[in-house]
Amino acid sequence: MSRLRNNKLFVLGIILVSMVVGLCAVSFFYLPHDPNVMNTKERLLSPSVEYLLGTDQFGRDILSRIMVSSRYALFIGLVSVSIGAAIGLFIGAIAATSKGIIQGLLMRMIDGLMAFPGILLAMMLVAVLGEGLWNAVLAIGIFMIPVFARLSYSLVLDQKDELYIKAAQSYGTSRTRIIFKHLLPTIMPRIITQFSASIGNAILIESSLSFLGLGVQPPDASWGLMLSESRQYTLTYPFLSVPPGIILVITVLGFNLIGDAVNDSMVKRRAAA
Amino acid sequence: MKNKWIHLEDLRVSDAYGRDIIRQASMELFENEFVGIVGESGSGKTMTVKAILDLLPEELNMTCSKNEVLGQNLLKLSGKERKRLIGSGIGFVPQNTIAFLHPLIKIKHQIGEAFITHGMGNKKLAKEKAIHLLEKVGIREPKRVLNSYPIQLSGGMKQRVNIAMALMTDPKVIVADEPTTALDTVIQKQVLELLKEVHDKDGVSILFISHDLKIVKQFCHRVYVMYKGNVVEAGKTKEIFQHPKHTYTKELISLLPTLSKDKHMAETV
Amino acid sequence: MLNFIIQRLLSGIGVLFFISIITFVVLMWIPGNPALLSLGTDATPEKVEALKESMGLHVPWYEQYINWLIGFLSGDWGTSYVFGEEILILITQRLPVTLSLAALSLTIAIPFAVMFGVISALYQNKWIDYMARSLMQLGDAVPQFWLALLFLVFFAAGYGWFPVAGFTPMEEGFWVSVHSILLPSIVLAIGQVGPLIRIIRSSMLSSLEQDYMLMTRVNGLSRTRAIGKYALRGAIIAPLTIVGMQLAGILGGAVLVESIFALPGIGRLLLMAVEQRDLILLQGVVFFITSAVVIVNIITDILYRLVNPMIRFGGNHE
Repeated sequence: MSRLRNNKLFVLGIILVSMVVGLCAVSFFYLPHDPNVMNTKERLLSPSVEYLLGTDQFGRDILSRIMVSSRYALFIGLVSVSIGAAIGLFIGAIAATSKGIIQGLLMRMIDGLMAFPGILLAMMLVAVLGEGLWNAVLAIGIFMIPVFARLSYSLVLDQKDELYIKAAQSYGTSRTRIIFKHLLPTIMPRIITQFSASIGNAILIESSLSFLGLGVQPPDASWGLMLSESRQYTLTYPFLSVPPGIILVITVLGFNLIGDAVNDSMVKRRAAA
Repeated sequence: MKNKWIHLEDLRVSDAYGRDIIRQASMELFENEFVGIVGESGSGKTMTVKAILDLLPEELNMTCSKNEVLGQNLLKLSGKERKRLIGSGIGFVPQNTIAFLHPLIKIKHQIGEAFITHGMGNKKLAKEKAIHLLEKVGIREPKRVLNSYPIQLSGGMKQRVNIAMALMTDPKVIVADEPTTALDTVIQKQVLELLKEVHDKDGVSILFISHDLKIVKQFCHRVYVMYKGNVVEAGKTKEIFQHPKHTYTKELISLLPTLSKDKHMAETV
Repeated sequence: MLNFIIQRLLSGIGVLFFISIITFVVLMWIPGNPALLSLGTDATPEKVEALKESMGLHVPWYEQYINWLIGFLSGDWGTSYVFGEEILILITQRLPVTLSLAALSLTIAIPFAVMFGVISALYQNKWIDYMARSLMQLGDAVPQFWLALLFLVFFAAGYGWFPVAGFTPMEEGFWVSVHSILLPSIVLAIGQVGPLIRIIRSSMLSSLEQDYMLMTRVNGLSRTRAIGKYALRGAIIAPLTIVGMQLAGILGGAVLVESIFALPGIGRLLLMAVEQRDLILLQGVVFFITSAVVIVNIITDILYRLVNPMIRFGGNHE
């Protein structure tokens, strides 16, 4: 951990994420304005003391909407990656500890899921399940499965032949017990690394879905949705597309930096061992 | 007085953290000599040779009071002059275990590299010479070998190619860094005899690095013994084997099987 | 080698089979009633039944799947509910746009990525390396649709350097056509550059550490020649394999970029299928895109082995 603390990029990542988490936390206690109240008299205002980031096409305060949106972004990021990680871990572990047909089938299925370009799978699921927050969470979660399945598959394969597993097997320990008691604790650090690296990606997909009108639905606010709504006004009032984009970059960059730094330090530790 | 091809004095190498890798090493190689450097892995043999040949990684610190190669003071030469001197005057035969030949380039496109770079002839001449040398090192189908990628050659073949490559510039010195590691005994013997032949017939001096005392005893005129970054003993092979002074050398020698056959071989060299 | 090709083809077919099942199950089976979904809320029972009948949904699901697969393989991909046209035709009409977009963005991305990847490896931990790596991080974090939006505002609408929307086909002139998709291609390329630089940089770094580089020093080669002939050759081959992977990213990005620049490509088609709940169209497009990704990956895998003598001749080793 001390090496991590010395890593400037890691510190930067922590700062960026803290900013967004802070914004989110504050939004529960204080908002400059009601994010959903429309005020047609004060449409498309430039930033001022009253409205720090100005107002949108309905006269809603942009800062407040950005603050509220951070809740969705963080929530969707965390929950969808958790879903993907849990299911992926499970599938990967099963595939690695079984033989022959089951292993082959599971891995082909993961390969198949992997062939869906980023947003495609999510779009397909949303088309079937319908638009909205929960369906977006589910869709992104399913999209995350293959990454975690591949990772846990290779990690478990590495660990499987290690002596302690063999020893546990020779005592007649059940497979579930081996997986939960012995395997999971050893592979968890790598999973957590992937977890932090995936959150940024999940938030990106959420914003893309919302941008396409398939994620968070109006009148609720989401950065992607705000950008989508700004499209009509970009020519007359371009500033509308700036703040949500910047906060989105900050969030994704922050999580990516943390993920990369943790990953690097793990690689180094493994190399040193 | 014989020419002195390599003359290194008081070499000291330390890493970026100031830890010593080589504390004290001095070394000489004369014209028409076969000299061995022995020591366990990590004793600094390879590092010493790399220092002589100007091959140390940049992050290492190196000091020495003298480093003369082929009669020229390396410390006073520019980078370009050094490259030219070593590239054309010294051949290097590496360990067989690692990819010193580029795996994605055919032999014919790499064997003549030094020959062409140092203006000894064009590609056509290089190819003719390469064929001649490959035949000389015992390769029956030199043209086929030239058209191959390294992966298509066996370990013994690759080592012959390496030796032919080292000979391309008619060097005065060949530095061989554990050239027979990872070769089976028969091929090992063939490669060693090939080096000996190059030495005997062409008068090329050889600096031979090995951890195998038996080989050193059999082939080398003089020996340097390295231990933990120091040259702990130096002298004629025979003397060192008969009267080792340093405890490490004694230990090494005591580990050799003392068969009469071995002794006999030592006498004949 | 032949063994590898056969093996790779077989596993590719396996993956395609799974993709077809996944798309089929997700789109036709799980929601229970795609006919209802397609018609929306104002569906009368008679309408639903009629549509069900025409979509071939009145038979058990496995029969539906087999019928669909047979139809698909024989070129009958069904008819779009929204467009009332054959799906295969709809796709082939829009394919040139997306293909040009993908080709142009790779043409932009690859030289940049090679240049920055190699330079950043050569000057590891110098300022230029840090700069390249920062750009890489930023490129990964900036959402493509936002970039597209900003580009549209500034370069197309603002300065008027590029058309705001639409695609000019090749027939009306190569450069006019390129110009019409240059801006969206740059957006897509920026998304591609990050991962490409990353892999080229790391593969160049490992190439520079190889022993053949030591040999070039022993032989006294100039640094330019050592890098140009030896290091680059060792570094350039591994990234070949991920160009196939990049295609997935490009096609995913195309959905957003085509929507923003109003380009009539496959991505737009997909979005319409989703918005209009045209599940048969969606199924066709999704299966088309994923198959393209799988097939291109198989091809790059095989090509990689063909150009890499270490694998091509690997069998002769010792």
